[in-house]
Amino acid sequence: MRRKNMKKGKHTFKEFTSKPEFSSLLILLVMFTLTAILQNNFFEIKSIMRNINAFAPLILVTMGQAVVMISGGIDLSSGTALSLLSCVLTSIMKKNDPITGLYAMIIALAVAVLLGLINGFGVGYLRIPSIILTFATSFIWLGIALFLRPTPGGESVPWFAIFYNFGSLKDVSGFFGTLGGFLPPSLILILIGCLIWWVISKTKTGRYIYAVGGNSESAYESGINTAKTQIIAYIINAIFIYLATLFFVGQTGSGDARMGDPLTLRSVAAAVVGGIALSGGRGNVYFALVGALILSFVNKIIFFANIPYAYQTLVGGVIVIVAIAISQAYISYSTKTKEIKIG
Amino acid sequence: MNILEAKNIKKNFGGVVALSGASLTCHEGRITGLLGANGSGKSTLSKIIAGAYAPDAGEIVYLGKTVHYKNPYEAKRHGIGMVYQNLSLVPELTVWQNIVLGDERNHGYFLDDDSAREKSIHIIKKLWPKLNIEGRVYELTPGEMQVVEIAKAVSRNPKLLILDEPTAALEEAQVASLFKLMRELAATGVAIIFTSHRLWEVVEICDDLTIFRNGENVAEMDFSKDEKNLQKIIFYITGSQEEAGIAKTCAETCGDVRLSIRNLNLGATLKDISFDLKKGEILGIGGLAGQGQQELMLALAGNFRKVACEAEIDGQPIRLTKPSNAIKHGIMLVPGDRQLEGLFSAHSVFSNLIFPKIGLEKNFVIPHGKLRKECEQIVGILALKTAGLDVPVSTLSGGNQQKVVIGKWLGLETNVLLLSDPAKGIDIGAKNDLYSYIIGEARSKGMSVILYASDSKELIEYCDRLLIMYEGTVVSTLDTEEITEENIIRASMCIEDE
Amino acid sequence: MKARATVSAALNSFFFNKYKKLIVALLLIIFLFVLGEIVVSNFLSVSQMLLTVKLSSFIALFGLCQMIVIAAGGGGLDLSVGYTATITAVFTAKLMDGSNENIWIAILAALALGLVVGILNGFFISYIKLPPLVVTMAMSQIIQGAINVYTAGKNITGKPSPILQVIAAKTTGFVPNIVFLIVLLTIIVMLILYKTRVGVLLFGAGANPTAAHLSGVDVKRVRFVSYIMSGVLASLIGLLLLGNMGMAFKDMGSNYVMPSIAAVVVGGVSLNGGDGNYLGVVLGAIFLQTLTNLLVAIGWGDAGKWTGFGIVLFLLLIVYVSNRRKR
Repeated sequence: MRRKNMKKGKHTFKEFTSKPEFSSLLILLVMFTLTAILQNNFFEIKSIMRNINAFAPLILVTMGQAVVMISGGIDLSSGTALSLLSCVLTSIMKKNDPITGLYAMIIALAVAVLLGLINGFGVGYLRIPSIILTFATSFIWLGIALFLRPTPGGESVPWFAIFYNFGSLKDVSGFFGTLGGFLPPSLILILIGCLIWWVISKTKTGRYIYAVGGNSESAYESGINTAKTQIIAYIINAIFIYLATLFFVGQTGSGDARMGDPLTLRSVAAAVVGGIALSGGRGNVYFALVGALILSFVNKIIFFANIPYAYQTLVGGVIVIVAIAISQAYISYSTKTKEIKIG
Repeated sequence: MNILEAKNIKKNFGGVVALSGASLTCHEGRITGLLGANGSGKSTLSKIIAGAYAPDAGEIVYLGKTVHYKNPYEAKRHGIGMVYQNLSLVPELTVWQNIVLGDERNHGYFLDDDSAREKSIHIIKKLWPKLNIEGRVYELTPGEMQVVEIAKAVSRNPKLLILDEPTAALEEAQVASLFKLMRELAATGVAIIFTSHRLWEVVEICDDLTIFRNGENVAEMDFSKDEKNLQKIIFYITGSQEEAGIAKTCAETCGDVRLSIRNLNLGATLKDISFDLKKGEILGIGGLAGQGQQELMLALAGNFRKVACEAEIDGQPIRLTKPSNAIKHGIMLVPGDRQLEGLFSAHSVFSNLIFPKIGLEKNFVIPHGKLRKECEQIVGILALKTAGLDVPVSTLSGGNQQKVVIGKWLGLETNVLLLSDPAKGIDIGAKNDLYSYIIGEARSKGMSVILYASDSKELIEYCDRLLIMYEGTVVSTLDTEEITEENIIRASMCIEDE
Repeated sequence: MKARATVSAALNSFFFNKYKKLIVALLLIIFLFVLGEIVVSNFLSVSQMLLTVKLSSFIALFGLCQMIVIAAGGGGLDLSVGYTATITAVFTAKLMDGSNENIWIAILAALALGLVVGILNGFFISYIKLPPLVVTMAMSQIIQGAINVYTAGKNITGKPSPILQVIAAKTTGFVPNIVFLIVLLTIIVMLILYKTRVGVLLFGAGANPTAAHLSGVDVKRVRFVSYIMSGVLASLIGLLLLGNMGMAFKDMGSNYVMPSIAAVVVGGVSLNGGDGNYLGVVLGAIFLQTLTNLLVAIGWGDAGKWTGFGIVLFLLLIVYVSNRRKR
């Protein structure tokens, strides 16, 4: 019984407000309120669903990116990895053969794991700086994606649309259709992602990802296999990308070697806004979700605030810098370094 | 029962003898103290036992078997735990996560965090109950970090626990609880090796005592039989030294006050340091290693923005908050860590030598011809052995690298030269070149020198006056005739004269 | 036996080590040309080589921006160079409108634009300590947004002045003029890096910021200035790009950003900062362009081009970091 009390006592409100994540939550609250005010039908189920669908890919990719960043790395290939997986899926699937959808899912998952393995091997064992290594592999992924699908297109089995909308298919419109009215598949994919991370964070692997990102030397001296930990981090990231791909292909029914490109740097920015330090070891994967939501709401606000279309990119960029600057200022304010550093 | 027996251990580091036949025995349930002056080899022996270094010769018998551990991790698995001075914690993890790091237990498929917390609380409660185990390590004070480090080692249930200067960063109350915990552990049969620069602590807590001098053990004491005689212990540490009479000429050549420092404070690292430095004087900074000497040198060179200090050079007030301020007034630092603080290893000798000058002078185009001539002169003056001005500094030997660090300042007018352990890791020839040049400059041109050296022989040989530092402050000043090995050690360990 | 010792001594000699990466890059280029000649005919010719250099010139130009910020250390990188160049081109195309009259105004406008971008980048990165990757990425989005605003509801009009076209698009004899420019620039950059205090401060701050700080150099300011240099150069490159293309359009600069970073890596510049040899970057750019040409010539199209590009970069990275692989 004492244990339980001990655990409860660990989060006082004051402690929580001193965490960098708190600033992300505040920003999110502001964004949320603004969007709710600006979008008239914000609380209607239909528009909530539409919002979740629009936000899902960035949320998933950002959560994967966050895992890698916490392990002390970065993944500049996540966008092209997503494109490649979409091409793999649509190359295997035959429109009139439902079972190919299953094959495609399995093979694409294997490919995703392989992509993570290659990145992780390069960073962990070959010790190539992650920023330049994943930059190089992004070209490889892009090239292979173009081999598979030089122009956007491809076939998809009809039932794949369930990853976008349960109601889309007449055969399952009954029960699942009703369910889909409340629970969009994109939300389920995000929940699956959260569940994966929840399980991992309860294991040694989760703890070691933080330790390696925080201080790789200390982690090594404590007997942790740092290279293996980094590989696992990249594989987890790849699985998040895989989930995002399922949603995309479910939505469009086609593959595109260029579809993921904008997601790469956006996911890095979203993770930073969510309080995940590029230096590694610090941050919370669930708050990557918050960061992704903030960036997504920014787009919504710009759209609904009647800001002319031409200004949207400009305002978006400014808000990213401001959000990062705020979270950075918050981090340095709340964690005053006590040791004296040179310089 | 003997837990550990190290017999006749020898160890060289690149020609420098660190251990020349050291032995140590640790008994079950007893605390063994290690004492010795700087560089007597006690840290080296601790690290050899913990598996961080391999001995060149000798035998280590642990639990009745001869062992050769390849790394600290292997030693740790077999029950030898060592608490290092330089911390091995992951700052982003919480206290309890650090304590169990690498030794996590599972409960079913998941981590058993509850038992890990309980285990941590159990240890922390004895060491420092105020410490919140849910706090992140980067939020802790150095003392609290040291507590976590100790807890991490203790949580592995070691059979042999090595504590290398664990009390340096601790507060008094923390030391008291550490001692209580050490007693408790010893009562359960753990053998403990304990080193500390605080002599009275060692005498207070230890059951046995081994004293090192010049890489070998000179005395062993068993306090259950022998009395705790401080005088005798100090005698063993210092040995009977023949004091070589060195001609000191300072009295005649030393001029007016050049640098005056009043109330220098830097956080908790440096406290209320005041002194005057005369023209042409060589002022030594001594004391046991890690008492704030290196930080004082950095502070005088203007490295710390937050330093609080009233400083005057030649009667003019100066702010020591920026290195460029200090350099403009001719205060030059030869830092303690050449690689980290002094050199651009991959760059050429020439680039290294001209760097401060280029930084200070605002000429856009570098007068290459003129500078090369100057650099060649510098190479000649310092007897710098290099294959040319264009080879990377990393190809030079340690001593010649150090000459480059000093050579950096020769192109500029130097009023005060700050030397932070300049002879560390360099061979004897280079060391003599270096000191003879510096002494010459001081005597002939009136350059003032502040010299910190971890080897007290250098201080005895070269210094006109010696400040002894202890835990961040100056505790005593020795004048020329008082600078002897025994006086230095007495002052360093804060032993009052009888 | 003795001969072998001499050879290995020569290989380990300082001279070889200093220029090792240049020699490797050069050998790789030659290898590609020979391979190209074997696989597809007519690959190895003077005109082909000049064409390659011409095509690689903008990668090399943007590579200079990258090299400067990378050399200054601290994980430097500038992703905003592409859009900085683009906005300059879009803006000055209208100013010049095909005549030489306003070229000075155009140059001043370019300098001002580059200065603003550079100051903002440098301020956020060096003084606020935000990660360079994210700051310059957001900055490029902002500039892209500014272009959208400027061009909203109208076509991008205007043409470069003839002078710019002569420099960036015309040829003298059979040599493209921009090749002369690259040669000239390489010489100037090498002179500035090795003969003025710019190079000393830049490399010092990158190689060992602590030592530089203790030697009295303001490392933050050096890094700040490095981003200003990058921004100004990028906008001047924008003028050339405009001259080369003959017109301005929205995405004219962004395709060069990633290859310019790759060129710096292939050129042997450490991403950790502290060194930089612009000749290496130029060779790196030529290598990448030759590789691209070869992969296109083989006929695998875009897919083969990018796959080959990525794999070669990957292999080069393994070779380059192999000497620091320990543990």
